[in-house]
Amino acid sequence: MVTVAWSVAGPAIGAAFLASLVEVVEAFTIVLAVGTLRGWRPAALGTVTALAVLALMIVVLGPLLDSVPLHLLQFIIGVLLLLFGMGWLRKAILRAAGVIPLHDEAAIFASESEQLAEAASQQRTSLDWIAGLTAFKAVLLEGLEVVFIVIAVGAGRGLLWPAAAGALAACLAILAIGIIVHKPLAKVPENTLKFGVGVMLSAFGVFWTGEGLGIDWPGQDIALVIFAALFLGIGLVTASALRRPTADIAR
Amino acid sequence: MSIIAEVAKELLGMFLADARLTTTTLALVAIVAGLVVALRVEPLLGGGVLLLGCLAILVETVVREARRRNAT
Repeated sequence: MVTVAWSVAGPAIGAAFLASLVEVVEAFTIVLAVGTLRGWRPAALGTVTALAVLALMIVVLGPLLDSVPLHLLQFIIGVLLLLFGMGWLRKAILRAAGVIPLHDEAAIFASESEQLAEAASQQRTSLDWIAGLTAFKAVLLEGLEVVFIVIAVGAGRGLLWPAAAGALAACLAILAIGIIVHKPLAKVPENTLKFGVGVMLSAFGVFWTGEGLGIDWPGQDIALVIFAALFLGIGLVTASALRRPTADIAR
Repeated sequence: MSIIAEVAKELLGMFLADARLTTTTLALVAIVAGLVVALRVEPLLGGGVLLLGCLAILVETVVREARRRNAT
């Protein structure tokens, strides 16, 4: 039986869980708008169809990844993680500094509801179709990032299942909370989560890219934790230095 | 068709959100790969360049964007 150090499995599961939490909250907001305005049938149908497409992508991509040499796989995924993770971290730092506005789930809910209501007034015959398609698109587009993160943090070291479990746990958590509160989850500290995920993905990116190039990091897996600490420290210092006095940085 | 286009746009946006961040990061990776693979520089030195380079790129792109937005 293959054993995996928690120093590697922990960040992989954590990154998948936190990233999924953020994406699922975003998708949930739109599905909730669809369900509230047009009923739960098209919302559920669109959601389930999108989840099926995402599952199909994993089923198709998974075996393909097994045929790629490990170092090449680590290098490609490492570079993609660097681009993706640093992109998230950059945006999270700018949001924390108050340079760009925080993500507002309540505003997105209102905007989606307005668009659906507008579509309702223009095209009465296929409203359920439009509503279902809206839910489908939301879940598919937000889910793409989750699929990438699960594959990226999991594929390099046989952690696909733990990473997928982390993502699934996030989906179930948001679903449970969503059913209870039945409104947009506006109080989720989304930027803090994005900051954390950006830090972890950037650390994974440096780690995998280096391993792909044949670099033996000192301390092996412990290096991941050090990289994450460095990205976190630099991110916090940069956000603090750029912070505007009047900025809303509550989250 | 529009869904496929949106999926493609989302996929591209995942990795190419900021042109400067993308190009400088790819250039850094190319330089480190050149150092380690072609010039046979000590791999750990290449790793240090990669790590510090990524941190520098992150700070530079954030500061640049903040200044750009503050100026407008």
